[in-house]
Amino acid sequence: MEKARRLWVRLAWAYGLLLAFGVFFVGPFAMGFLASLKANPLEWPFSFRFAQVSPKNWVAAWRLGLEGGGNPWLGGMVPGREVVLEVAYFSPEGQEPTLLAQISRRKPGAGMGAVFETPYAADHVRLEGPVRVEARPAQLGDREGMVYRYRLRLFYPGEGPVLERVPLDLEVPRGVVLVGASLDPTRLERRGRVASWDNVVPGLLGYVFHNYLRAFRETRSLETGESLFLRWTLNSFFLAALKVLTTLIFASMAGYALARMRFPGKHALFLFMLFSMMVPAQVTFISNYLVLKDGIFGLSRLFGVETLLNTYTGLVLSGLVGAGAVFLMKQFFESIPREVEEAALIDGATPLGILFRIVLPMSTPALGALAILTFQGTWNEFFWPLVVLTSPREIYTLPLGLLSFRNAYGQVGDWGLILAGGFLSMIPVLVLFALFQRYFVEGPSLGAVKE
Amino acid sequence: MRLKASSLEALYALLLLLPFLFTLGVFFLYAFLRAMVFSFTDYNLFDPPRWVGLANYLRLVQDPLFLTALKHSLAYSLIVTTLQTLLALLLALALNRPLRGVTFFRTLYYLPSVVSTAAASLLLLWLFQRTGVVNQGLSFLLGSLPFLALGFVLFALVQGLGVAWWRRRGRALPLLDPGLAWVSLALALLGVYVLVQVGWVRPWEVRVDIPWLTTRTTFLGLPYPLWAIILMNTYTTIPTFMVILLAGLKGIPKTLYEAAALDGASPWVVLTRITLPLLRPVLFLVVTLGLIGTLQLFDQVLFVGGAGGAPLESTITLAYYVYGNVFPPGASPRVGLASAAALVLAGLTLAVVLLQRRFGVGERGWS
Repeated sequence: MEKARRLWVRLAWAYGLLLAFGVFFVGPFAMGFLASLKANPLEWPFSFRFAQVSPKNWVAAWRLGLEGGGNPWLGGMVPGREVVLEVAYFSPEGQEPTLLAQISRRKPGAGMGAVFETPYAADHVRLEGPVRVEARPAQLGDREGMVYRYRLRLFYPGEGPVLERVPLDLEVPRGVVLVGASLDPTRLERRGRVASWDNVVPGLLGYVFHNYLRAFRETRSLETGESLFLRWTLNSFFLAALKVLTTLIFASMAGYALARMRFPGKHALFLFMLFSMMVPAQVTFISNYLVLKDGIFGLSRLFGVETLLNTYTGLVLSGLVGAGAVFLMKQFFESIPREVEEAALIDGATPLGILFRIVLPMSTPALGALAILTFQGTWNEFFWPLVVLTSPREIYTLPLGLLSFRNAYGQVGDWGLILAGGFLSMIPVLVLFALFQRYFVEGPSLGAVKE
Repeated sequence: MRLKASSLEALYALLLLLPFLFTLGVFFLYAFLRAMVFSFTDYNLFDPPRWVGLANYLRLVQDPLFLTALKHSLAYSLIVTTLQTLLALLLALALNRPLRGVTFFRTLYYLPSVVSTAAASLLLLWLFQRTGVVNQGLSFLLGSLPFLALGFVLFALVQGLGVAWWRRRGRALPLLDPGLAWVSLALALLGVYVLVQVGWVRPWEVRVDIPWLTTRTTFLGLPYPLWAIILMNTYTTIPTFMVILLAGLKGIPKTLYEAAALDGASPWVVLTRITLPLLRPVLFLVVTLGLIGTLQLFDQVLFVGGAGGAPLESTITLAYYVYGNVFPPGASPRVGLASAAALVLAGLTLAVVLLQRRFGVGERGWS
């Protein structure tokens, strides 16, 4: 009895502690993610109940998106469609309030998004209403009054462009309070007198993840109009894939030579490699910048390229294989029993043949770990791409893009967009982490604590 | 014949090593030597370098910005390494037991280390805005001090009564008996809830409004923005070191603990006499990796100091000083000065490694 009690008590403390740590490590990310869904992530006090997490709004956003543009996910409005929105207002006076409704002419956002000309919904969509459909006595707090329900019809006659957004503003006299709407407004302004919808035909994703969509839609190239954020993501994928490829090949080659072959200066090379891993990148980047600038001692001119700055060739060539990767492969190869290779050696195989035909096929666990760690490293790398890739903005990788995001939107306080960009950039690494967490978790200790 | 075989092998090795030697030679060795040469010259990337001897190093010592950067780098490095090593050790000790589902928690905790510094910096910026979650959290904490105090009093009361009751019934419970503590905690929470519902206690109206980022104000000699970076980076690096320490803990032979249990050693004795001494090599490794990593702080300086952010003097570090002098906005590059500062940074890093070699254990890898 006493023993069982002690066991339970200890378990309770242990799991309580684990849970508390869990909240600590995941909490800020969870809060940040929730905030990235809000229209104003800096709202005080921070609330966990807001329009974007209410199922009622999900259903309404789905319906409105479907009715407006035939697209329940991303919404929009096309000619010939009409949507209906209902709102309910509480009025303490004995008489019906006057409602002013209009489809406003608003730019979609600040920063880069404000530069582009998009068709205004106000020029194409007609608004009918508000029409009163119901009036009943009601009580709000300790105030007696009436609740009026109104219907607004928005229809898009004739021909015209596909509209991404249809914004709406509703203004009421002082004292009148919005108590319900089929879709909650994006924000309330002027002490609640103006309820404003950024988009009344949002679609489910367009409503819940509106900041995420904005990251793609508003961050566009000034010249071509294509989505910069999408481009940066693709760039990062491309570069990471390339780096993984070169690292896998060249690190196993070098690692094999260091692990298995005898040649003069091997120990010195190994020590020098360790030394190179400790020197900060800030020491070597000046020369590396200059080397890339004149095309690796002018060699690139043989291929008609004047400079390797602002090119992926330069970025990849300067990081063909990292010393850390070579170290990891060397450690792994040393753990493979020698007998396997000796048998092949007797059969007259060359070292290259042994490496590529026998050793590498046996090394999939190490190669997998190296691939994943290299992908993560390249995806997250910031300093060296910042030095090499400066213009145009189309060649940025995601971390550089995030910096330009931060500088473009930070000043105007558009934190929804910034957070959304940050979380979007985490997705690939988080997916990899979910699939291969063993490699991540063992990665730092690989070789580090090897007896 | 034998000689031929060995030189053939060397030739193959050279072939296999070629790409690595290219990277190492051009982008590390050549670059490192060049940084040394640049540090003795006056160079602006355009005109040919001019030899100036030790002038750059003398200029560094007189440059207040450099001294600030040096101070920030050293302080940041020491504080973050201490914090993250201690916390990672605590976490590793907590996780190093045969509990069901402990791997799940370990994976969960690792999450902050996976994301990029860029994304983490954006989160940091949001958290530390004036109306951000950090200020709100502090306000909430201070505002609920009456609840906390009340809860503590109730807890002590219930626990004391409980212990006294058990003792009168002949069971000598310790004052902080963990089993009873859970019950007392639950009762105290219930008590606070009831008193709040009745309206006996109210939260205080507190609004913490610390401008964490756009300020030069200092706390304990370091500017607020740097403290924000310290907090955030400790948070994101703990998991990595926790994993290394866990691997180290797994390597300690179980027999030692069994022997200690037979001798009836207390947990504290086991920790200080067995676990820590045997973990020493790994601890040294963790400290070294921590110092090397923290000395290179750069990304966050750029993110936190962007448009409408922290003033440069509040966040500048050695790494940023180097970068800032090579690409100064609206001035000509001071490559010589930057190189000299970079070599100071490299020197600091190497000193850390040499210290580890001297006091820690020798042949272990860095990865």
